[in-house]
Amino acid sequence: MSQASRSNLVIGLLAIAFSALALFAWIPLDTETGLIEKVRRQITVGDALAPSVAAVFVGVGGLLLVVFERRAPNQPVLSTENLLFVLRLLVVIAIALLTMRFAGPAIVWLANVIQGTELEYRLLRDTVPWKYLGFLMGGTIMVFGMISVVEGQLRLRLLFISIAAVLAVMFVYDVPFEDLLLPPNGDV
Amino acid sequence: MGTLDYIWMGILAVFQGPELFSLFGLPISITLVMILCGFLTGIAVGATPGLAGPVAMAIALPILISVFGFTPDALLPVLGFLIGIMKGATVGGAVPAILFNTPGTPDAFMTTLDGYPMTQRGKAKKALRVAHFSSASGDTFSDIVLFVCAPFLAILVEAYLDLPEKTALLILSLSFISAVIGGSPGKGLISTGLGLLAAYVGTGEDFYPRLSMGQSELSRGFPIVTAVLGVLIIGAVLKELEDLWRTKRSSGTLPQHTDDGDQRLHGADIRRLLPYIGRSAVIGTAIGALPGIGSTLAATLGYTVGRARYVRKKRPDAPAFGEGASEGIAATEAANSSVSGANLIPVLSLGIPGNAAAVFLILAAESIGGFNPGPSVFRFTADTVNPELVIAFGLFTAMMIANILNWTIGGLFMRSMGVMTRIPKQILLPSVLLLTLTAIYVQETRMEAIWFALGFGVLGYLMRSVSISPLPFVIAFILGGNLEATARQAFSATGGDPWFLFTNPIAAVFMAMAVAFILMTARRKNTTV
Repeated sequence: MSQASRSNLVIGLLAIAFSALALFAWIPLDTETGLIEKVRRQITVGDALAPSVAAVFVGVGGLLLVVFERRAPNQPVLSTENLLFVLRLLVVIAIALLTMRFAGPAIVWLANVIQGTELEYRLLRDTVPWKYLGFLMGGTIMVFGMISVVEGQLRLRLLFISIAAVLAVMFVYDVPFEDLLLPPNGDV
Repeated sequence: MGTLDYIWMGILAVFQGPELFSLFGLPISITLVMILCGFLTGIAVGATPGLAGPVAMAIALPILISVFGFTPDALLPVLGFLIGIMKGATVGGAVPAILFNTPGTPDAFMTTLDGYPMTQRGKAKKALRVAHFSSASGDTFSDIVLFVCAPFLAILVEAYLDLPEKTALLILSLSFISAVIGGSPGKGLISTGLGLLAAYVGTGEDFYPRLSMGQSELSRGFPIVTAVLGVLIIGAVLKELEDLWRTKRSSGTLPQHTDDGDQRLHGADIRRLLPYIGRSAVIGTAIGALPGIGSTLAATLGYTVGRARYVRKKRPDAPAFGEGASEGIAATEAANSSVSGANLIPVLSLGIPGNAAAVFLILAAESIGGFNPGPSVFRFTADTVNPELVIAFGLFTAMMIANILNWTIGGLFMRSMGVMTRIPKQILLPSVLLLTLTAIYVQETRMEAIWFALGFGVLGYLMRSVSISPLPFVIAFILGGNLEATARQAFSATGGDPWFLFTNPIAAVFMAMAVAFILMTARRKNTTV
């Protein structure tokens, strides 16, 4: 927090710009009907009205920040350092999710290449151990990666803790329930 | 069917629901067991820094729905479990605040001011007993107010408000929430507007799904769980991890405490605490009844009012507020706990969620179906049974059972939960993230839902980083569809009158109040600068 921060002014101006963009470009170009429509001599509310009201809310909010709150005390500051930290976390999460999505099919493909079989992940996705491959690998990368980013170091003990955490999640959501599918098995 | 018949049916629905087992020949219904499980889970979650009631609700919801299905029989066990969590978390939040100077939930911050000094003086157990007694008292008082007020308010709404007035009331609620949550009306309006915009993506009455930018992924709109869990839970996890990293708080040894002397809560103590508990319970209930004003403000106000009385009444040798006065714990805990029951008044009577816990109750009701919180619930039909009203009275019964559990076993369980504080946050939070993403996936069964949730999580993180409260976003997202549908109906019902919000006197008053709330709060901000 800083007394000298002008973040309210910046947020206000960004909100006004976003509101204007939504009102004059996004909503008119991306809705089929306008604010009010006349259909067979009957006047009805068009699909653009509600989003326009929402955009006006954003714009008025921005205006209030610029007019009334631009000199408010203790305005927050978004530091580049903090944003970079969260970006690192997001990269870890993205890698983990991609692993979760593609690890199972990739291992099946590899098994086919090595053993000359013609297995399909889609047909195996509800069978052990195939259904756990993606989740276990992706989940471990997510938990272990995030802990390591926060702690700033890689430790074997944390890897085991991460695997245990992922196994616990699998136990909670998959083992007791036949109808629940762990990611990514619902849509591969 | 009279009112008493409905109340009795609600009670029976809880006690005579599907039987789980029998105890000494007495059938124990699944709902009773779920309330107990939810309550104990809530205390454990509240006692764990970094977790809170909404997190546990988010993780539990898909499991509960999978267990109980989408039938009307599922409503009471599922909602009973969530209510148990809500109540347990309120009590549990005081544990780390008192034992380790770390509030388990944000509203327990004020509890640290007197709770931790009492622990340092060797009075930890007594401080926990004071917190539990005050919390249970405030919660019970608040629930009684809910039971009396919600039906009357709902009946008034149904009797006097037509479609234009209901539309104006929804706008007034959103305006009020924008003005009061987070203390900045400008930021509140931005949050509300973004929530409404997100709700309108991929919806509408035309053939083309509006605002979908031609993308098939957006054409179905954002699933409600992705927006709610993304902004509320994932955003909070990212922000907490950033705070953890920034402050370089080590997970080193936690401070130890030893108990010294008499730890019991005597009749004389209770008589001394009651005036503080009473005042705070009234303050918390009044604040909780207004949508959007959280328990943190109630705790602050309760503490301030309690301190003013304490200055006049305290014994010369008694510690001052902030130095280990048990009255300080009582004032805070009674105030923040009395918010939870009253917060359900706008939910049950108007269908407007006032806090994150209420959001999850609505989410559960919407997911299961057969119960739509709002004024229509309280239709006391004489010739046919209104099942929603039976569920509402079943919920009230569940709340009273949770209170009884709180009074009987809550204190003991709460005092044993100090161990939860020892779980390092940097291990807990990534696991919570994985649990949340898995919870979203098992409900939506498509990877794009996880990506949506992550996107909303980033939005929630950015909003928190620039002090924009994410709660107006979530409430607006939930109410957005209802607001548009009511407005469309009102527009048609008034023969296409574009000024329907201003030609009807009550609607016009609501609209004037909506504008006045925003302008007055903004002007006050301007003059206090």
